[in-house]
Amino acid sequence: MTTLTPRRSGRIGTERPRWSTTIILLLCAVTVIIPLYVTIVTAFKTTSQAVDGNVFSLPAPWSVDGFVQAWNLTNVPQAFAVSVFVTALTVAGTILLAAFASFAIARNWDRKFFRWSFFYLLAAMFLPFPVLALPQIQLTGFAGLDNPVGVAILHIMFQLSFSVLLFTAFLRSIPIELEESARIDGASTSQVFWKLIFPLLAPMSATVGIFAFLASWNDFMMPSLITSDPAMQTLPVVQSIFQTQFSNNYNVSFASYLMAMAPAIIVYLFTQRWVMAGVTQGAVKG
Amino acid sequence: MAAGVLSGCAPTGPENVRFYLSKPEAIPYFRELVKTYNAEQNRIHVTLDTSANLQAGFLRGNPPDLGLLNYNMEMSRFMERGALSDLGDMPEASHILPDVQKLVDQYATYRGRTSVLPYSVMAASVIYNKQIFAEQGIAIPQTWAEFQAACEKLTAAGITPIYGTFKDPWTVAQGWFDYAVGGMVNVADFYAGLNKEGTDVGAHSAVSFQKSLLEPTQRMQEIAQKYTNKDAAAKGYGDGNLAFAQGKAAMYFQGPWALGEIAKTAPDLQLGTFPLPMTDNPQDLKVRVNIDLAAWIPEASKHQKAAREFLTYLFQPSVIDDYNAKFLGYGTTTDAAPVTDPRIVGMREYYDRAAFYQGASKAIPLTIPTENYVQGIVLGADPKSTLATLDADWARLALRR
Repeated sequence: MTTLTPRRSGRIGTERPRWSTTIILLLCAVTVIIPLYVTIVTAFKTTSQAVDGNVFSLPAPWSVDGFVQAWNLTNVPQAFAVSVFVTALTVAGTILLAAFASFAIARNWDRKFFRWSFFYLLAAMFLPFPVLALPQIQLTGFAGLDNPVGVAILHIMFQLSFSVLLFTAFLRSIPIELEESARIDGASTSQVFWKLIFPLLAPMSATVGIFAFLASWNDFMMPSLITSDPAMQTLPVVQSIFQTQFSNNYNVSFASYLMAMAPAIIVYLFTQRWVMAGVTQGAVKG
Repeated sequence: MAAGVLSGCAPTGPENVRFYLSKPEAIPYFRELVKTYNAEQNRIHVTLDTSANLQAGFLRGNPPDLGLLNYNMEMSRFMERGALSDLGDMPEASHILPDVQKLVDQYATYRGRTSVLPYSVMAASVIYNKQIFAEQGIAIPQTWAEFQAACEKLTAAGITPIYGTFKDPWTVAQGWFDYAVGGMVNVADFYAGLNKEGTDVGAHSAVSFQKSLLEPTQRMQEIAQKYTNKDAAAKGYGDGNLAFAQGKAAMYFQGPWALGEIAKTAPDLQLGTFPLPMTDNPQDLKVRVNIDLAAWIPEASKHQKAAREFLTYLFQPSVIDDYNAKFLGYGTTTDAAPVTDPRIVGMREYYDRAAFYQGASKAIPLTIPTENYVQGIVLGADPKSTLATLDADWARLALRR
């Protein structure tokens, strides 16, 4: 294996293709590309062509009618802004709170209180939102949080357990000696965290942030139940009007989905490097 | 709470009324209507809400001020618990056709209140392709025997008599089961009887699914297996609309909502409707109805007076008639304009003399998977044992309540 490495990296073209892996990867790629292709072509079809049953056909003629209708039926710019607000708050809140909690837990693992708070946070992973929906609706109503801020707070709460799990695993791989040397130089706990630990956590923060982004951006149920002002709804909720049992406006709904998907795809394209890195970094304890 | 704060900000401005409407096809229409209303006067500002979650709104104590939506068993739970205010004193309430108002009461009532005013009724029956019927020289069947003869004639001519979309269980419950049962059994009486039996529903009770609905269900199974397309089990609602628009079958068991979908592919297709004959007596012919939209004002609304004012506007003959004409609905008021659309006018004589019923499948709580049961029957399951299962489920649910 070690003798092969330099040769492979030196001349890429001579590498023997591994067909079995390629085929599997190709199949995996197809499962993503086909739905994406269908989404894009359907979005540009006319209504009569969209219901004709030939999903793979190219639009003839190409029509932006679906986009226009989707734009007019829902207040896209406003819903988009609300979605961005909720998601940004969720991402920032999740990274910060989970990092705080994980730092405290990982460095005080020998103390019962911290150990149990870790288990307590993890236990939340076993509580799905639908089970808690009714009390959450009432509580947010009482607290005046039946708005996007309340949704973001709940998103942060539900992301917390998984994120703390990732952060603590990663923190354990950071040698404690680094921290001790900083303390010998006179650094306080907060200085240790902000100047040393938090920068070191960056790759894991990216992973946590991406998971929080996807969960928050794509969520339907929580904003639909928690937010009471219809003008303050997120994109997935306002889009739900396009599809009902009785009518199919495939071109309108797909145009709208495409507009909603775009940010998620763009974010992923730019950050996939860190997603991959982050997942493997957290997987094995140093 | 947020709505209260928002309106509280401007005590001198117009009163804000949150108007909830969830029928997607009707959203552009009502958006324009609301815009016109807001421009016409300055006391009330109506906001159209199309995405609210009703359960959450009622639970939180800030439901929309005025709701206009499909009325069914799920919605009736709010009325049953007194969450909807009494509209009985409004002049609009006295204009509602008594037989239509009765449809509301079939699900639930609350201490002499009139909390729900029907706005639009959808009548559903067999949709047929007029051209195919004319070419084959088939008259609209009035009896079960005539219906079977028509199907035989179509089959002999190589035409699929009925297009089945059995992949989507709701289409089986809505079209097949409801038409078959409603054409033979008095649905409202049947459920009143079932409710009286309660936990005793079963093989030996006076009223039961396995006894009262056996014959219609058997007939439904017979026509579903003999006279539909071979691939009915693999076809869904979307496929059915497309195939029927392309003239691939002579009849289609769907409601008026499908007409708009069919028109997407074939806008000029000549279609008509007739009630499915299930007996040998033409006097038994009835159409299936459901309350497409009904208006209510919650007790918890802080703007009940303003909401009532907007409700009066909505019930003005010009407004309500215009909606029903555009969305193929039947009027609910005594002075409503008669239906004229050729596609649904075939049901008018039945609607006018209240020869209608609400779908039998809609009166069973959703915790019982009725749609899947009837889907099993059209695909070949034994009607008797499936209906016995339904009886057992009903009795269990009655025990739990």
